[in-house]
Amino acid sequence: MVILPSKLNFPAARRVFPMDLDDQGLVTRARAGDAEAFRSLVVRYQRKVYAVALGIVRDPDLAWDVAQETFVRVHRHLGEFKGESAFSTWVFRIASHLAIDSVRRERTSAKDDLEEAGEAALAEGGEGILATALGTNPQESALRRELLDKIGEALDRLPEIHRTILVLREVEGLSYEELAERLDISKGTVMSRLFHARKKMQALLRRYAGLEARGEAGEGEP
Amino acid sequence: MKDCARYLPLLGSRPGELEAAERAALEGHLAACAACQGRLADLAALQGMLGEALAREAARRDFTDFADQVMARVERRRAGALGAFFRRHRALAVGTALAPTLVAAALIVYLELRGAAAPGIEVVSEQYAPMVIETDQGPLILIGDGDDSEGT
Repeated sequence: MVILPSKLNFPAARRVFPMDLDDQGLVTRARAGDAEAFRSLVVRYQRKVYAVALGIVRDPDLAWDVAQETFVRVHRHLGEFKGESAFSTWVFRIASHLAIDSVRRERTSAKDDLEEAGEAALAEGGEGILATALGTNPQESALRRELLDKIGEALDRLPEIHRTILVLREVEGLSYEELAERLDISKGTVMSRLFHARKKMQALLRRYAGLEARGEAGEGEP
Repeated sequence: MKDCARYLPLLGSRPGELEAAERAALEGHLAACAACQGRLADLAALQGMLGEALAREAARRDFTDFADQVMARVERRRAGALGAFFRRHRALAVGTALAPTLVAAALIVYLELRGAAAPGIEVVSEQYAPMVIETDQGPLILIGDGDDSEGT
């Protein structure tokens, strides 16, 4: 018995673009209506876009939705992408905008109160303890692996404005000026907000790691 | 400690982000402040960990269907946009739907007024009534040309 290939229940064959085909090449093809080229761009950036969204919204399902909506917007506005910045920069900008918008819609005053109440408990010293505990080669430290699992929990406890600025700075890699523009705040506010965000994150990580502070008062805490 | 409050927001800056005077003042303070040296060491030790932690969280999620879902969303949105366009422009939608009928009606009226035949049909005689013969392939219309001797 001969089975025709069309009768086999295989998924439709897809063109696979080589990984070394640069973003601009795929963008050009996608802009010309090549759906597979666009799909390749989605696959290329889906995890990182999701990670950025998750860092800001802290809800896996909402982050999934934000990441998908990001690519829908990218597709819709592909013709407007001039290539003045890297494609990835443009995509992450859209993702973080959508994530910030969505988390602000979800935010409730009750949650904000809880976050503010938690701030006082986090205002403690212990500067340098983490660096010492992580040792001279933090990349291979067992504590580092432990802390990597705790960073998500720490992010959950930060107020949205602190999560957002940390993700934009540490994951997207934005400069002070880019942060000021993106968040519509002054450069001074960027520096101050980043400092407080980091301070809270470090205090939480010290606590998770059992590295108690030495009792220094947190100076400059608003 | 009072000085620290002034310099804390400057910690963690990247090259080129501070004014030259700010940079020089920060370096001067760091040289003499053990607490700020510790803070800077913490920043360096935690460098890259947030991105790595989020990447690990993302890696735990199954992305097999992600791109398919995006493509389906794109298609739905495109179809929705077309529908919304026509809903917003009802007159255009009605006009578009009726256009073929209106054009056909206008053509018929035009031809009636001109007394001409429809395009694609050549009328070779107007003196005799046409003869219609039913054949297996359909009706055959014979139109006389006015010359009885040669028939039609």
